[in-house]
Amino acid sequence: MYDVLVNSPVGAEMTAILPQVTTMVTVFYFALFAMSFDFISGYTGYLSFGHAAFYGAGAYAVVLAANGKVPLVGPETPFMLLLLVAGLLAAVLAVLIGAVSFRLTGVYFAMITLGFSQVLYVFVRDWDYVGSNPRDGVAVPGGVSGFEVGVPGVDALNLAIGRLAGDSVALGFVEFTGTGVSYYMVGLVVLVCYFAMQRIIHSPFGRVMIAIRENEERAKAVGYNTFRYKLGAFAISAFFAGVAGGLLAGFKRSVAPEGTFYFLVAGDALLASIIGGFGTLAGPLFGRLFDESVREFLSKSGEGGGLLPWLRDTLGEGVLATELYNGLTVGGTIETFLNGHAALYVGIVFVLFVLFVPDGLLGTVRQRVGGPVGKHLPAHLRRYLR
Amino acid sequence: MTLTALLLTTLFEPITLASATALDATVPLVGFFEALVDFLAPETLASVVVNGLAKAALYIMLAAGLTLIFGLMGVLNFAHGSLTMIGAYLGGLVMVLLVGSATGSLGRLALFFVAIVVVFGLLIALGGVLEVGLIRRLYDRPPIYQILLTFGVTLTLDELARIVVAFYGLQPISDWQAALATKPAILTQSLPLGPINASGLAGFQILAGVVTVAGIYGFLTQTRYGLYIRAGSEDTEMAQALGIDVRRTFTVVFALGAGIAGIAGVFLMWDPRWGASVPLAAETLLPAFVVVIVGGLGTFRGTVVAGLLVGLVDASMTWWFQNAVNFTGLPQMTIFLILVLMLIVKPQGIFGVEEVGGH
Repeated sequence: MYDVLVNSPVGAEMTAILPQVTTMVTVFYFALFAMSFDFISGYTGYLSFGHAAFYGAGAYAVVLAANGKVPLVGPETPFMLLLLVAGLLAAVLAVLIGAVSFRLTGVYFAMITLGFSQVLYVFVRDWDYVGSNPRDGVAVPGGVSGFEVGVPGVDALNLAIGRLAGDSVALGFVEFTGTGVSYYMVGLVVLVCYFAMQRIIHSPFGRVMIAIRENEERAKAVGYNTFRYKLGAFAISAFFAGVAGGLLAGFKRSVAPEGTFYFLVAGDALLASIIGGFGTLAGPLFGRLFDESVREFLSKSGEGGGLLPWLRDTLGEGVLATELYNGLTVGGTIETFLNGHAALYVGIVFVLFVLFVPDGLLGTVRQRVGGPVGKHLPAHLRRYLR
Repeated sequence: MTLTALLLTTLFEPITLASATALDATVPLVGFFEALVDFLAPETLASVVVNGLAKAALYIMLAAGLTLIFGLMGVLNFAHGSLTMIGAYLGGLVMVLLVGSATGSLGRLALFFVAIVVVFGLLIALGGVLEVGLIRRLYDRPPIYQILLTFGVTLTLDELARIVVAFYGLQPISDWQAALATKPAILTQSLPLGPINASGLAGFQILAGVVTVAGIYGFLTQTRYGLYIRAGSEDTEMAQALGIDVRRTFTVVFALGAGIAGIAGVFLMWDPRWGASVPLAAETLLPAFVVVIVGGLGTFRGTVVAGLLVGLVDASMTWWFQNAVNFTGLPQMTIFLILVLMLIVKPQGIFGVEEVGGH
């Protein structure tokens, strides 16, 4: 699909606009993390600001297992089992943290989860058992081959993911590169997790979660033990956050405390959820896609797509060398503002969303359409076709 | 490289060598009880306390603005750290620009106060703009949106700062040596105070902390706006009913909070453990949150007590790390453990009331 569009007549423009496949893989696993964050925060209304703890726990579990540092789980364990272990570990962690945290509400809940995650962050960052230099992160040793997504034990159903260590596959006349395979395999895991969470949300359990968000007192009065429901939802959410972390570790083959346990990682998930639509499970995926697209479009330093190389090619030398003010050229301005400073635009977009689109992308669309898009789209299409 | 220097370069962003700490750790790992005996020796304890008070002064300055804003408006300002960071850069800028005209330590100290006044003014303006332009629109929404909005503001401000810093080439490395170098000689020396050695900077910081606390306390108890703020913290609706223009009070408080954050930044700029850098925003935000929440959201008295608590614990844990415990993150981790324990034991904080803020 990507290849077709890039090689079309508007190829240059398409390269500039479309996210690259590598980006899409990171969009997938991070979107799963953002979804798990939305699962607890968007549906029960408890802002879990320390959600990065579970993401990090999952990521570190996989990398440490590959390093042979986790008891009972050796480096040869199939990746799918590792993902499960990562998820369960995060869920156990969530039960421990949630047991004390859910006595609090609102800002206090956000703060205590933030506190817990920062304790873990500092601990992992400085724990020399993790690696010789824990501050810089740990990598999967070279001896371990690619992590395989598929049914453990059945070779034919396994495909390794990873940018460098992934499989490449030829099916008939279609060929997939390593990244392409990772795209589908990571996407597959994320899709399964999404459907699992979707199922939970639409079960009676999910109804209680929403009841807690809307009016916890009333949910209690009706006879639900809200504490148990919240704790259960927190553990489920952490499980999927752990799986997302495991996917990150499997694809990147290295983890660093800054990219996993740090509280700004949870902030990124928050960003994706708000932009995509708080309280819509699929929203974070679109939010993250939007977020990454903005980042990639506005701040690519040169290789691949983005606005910067496109402007460089289109504007021409004369325009670029024009002096604007005090020795500052147009080209210089573009470089200054577009090279690697996407966070600025993401921040501005985020503020605008909070102010003017509080329901997010998907939430707003749903309001316009009058319900989940999937349900109403056929009717709309039929109306136009007739 | 001494162990102290190693600690300071790893604990905080790479900064200059530690000349400010009175503790010079050369002792290798010893048994716990021996270390405890060492720790309880009067000289050690005294210098730990002095260091702790200096840290406490900084923590209180960092958290005071946050407390004022939360106490009255119920807005947990995530952009507070960014305001501190901007204050640090602006303060450094003023100092670097003015330092050529200063001779001697006293001249430089005087210029430092000029820098404080300038930064205070600029950040009050910035805070006012933020409140009127953005935050005011959100008072009728659930409080979660204010957290979200200020979080977005943080991202934007940090990245703007990063662009400016990169554009003017202010820092090839993460600390800003030029600003640090404007510190007068008095403050870099260590002053012998009886048996203990206190650095001049620590004394200066303690003094500044006392002045800040006294100033804010005076403002809250002696001025009309202080009265409004205290009334508004108790019951916003009643205050409004009694004819206080709460909207304007909100603007004033937010601007003041931003100004205080800026002042704290100017002090951090001179402290070799911090220095002016973009990551300062996140690094100062978290301790400020801890202090505010441990003290009880919205009570100034609580903030002062919690600042002292956190500062002293930080200083003693730093000593323990330097002398007995082989774990770099010990002081930082203890700070967050204090937060977690306090929230478990007494969620409303030391002096907190059940409910604060609210509209």
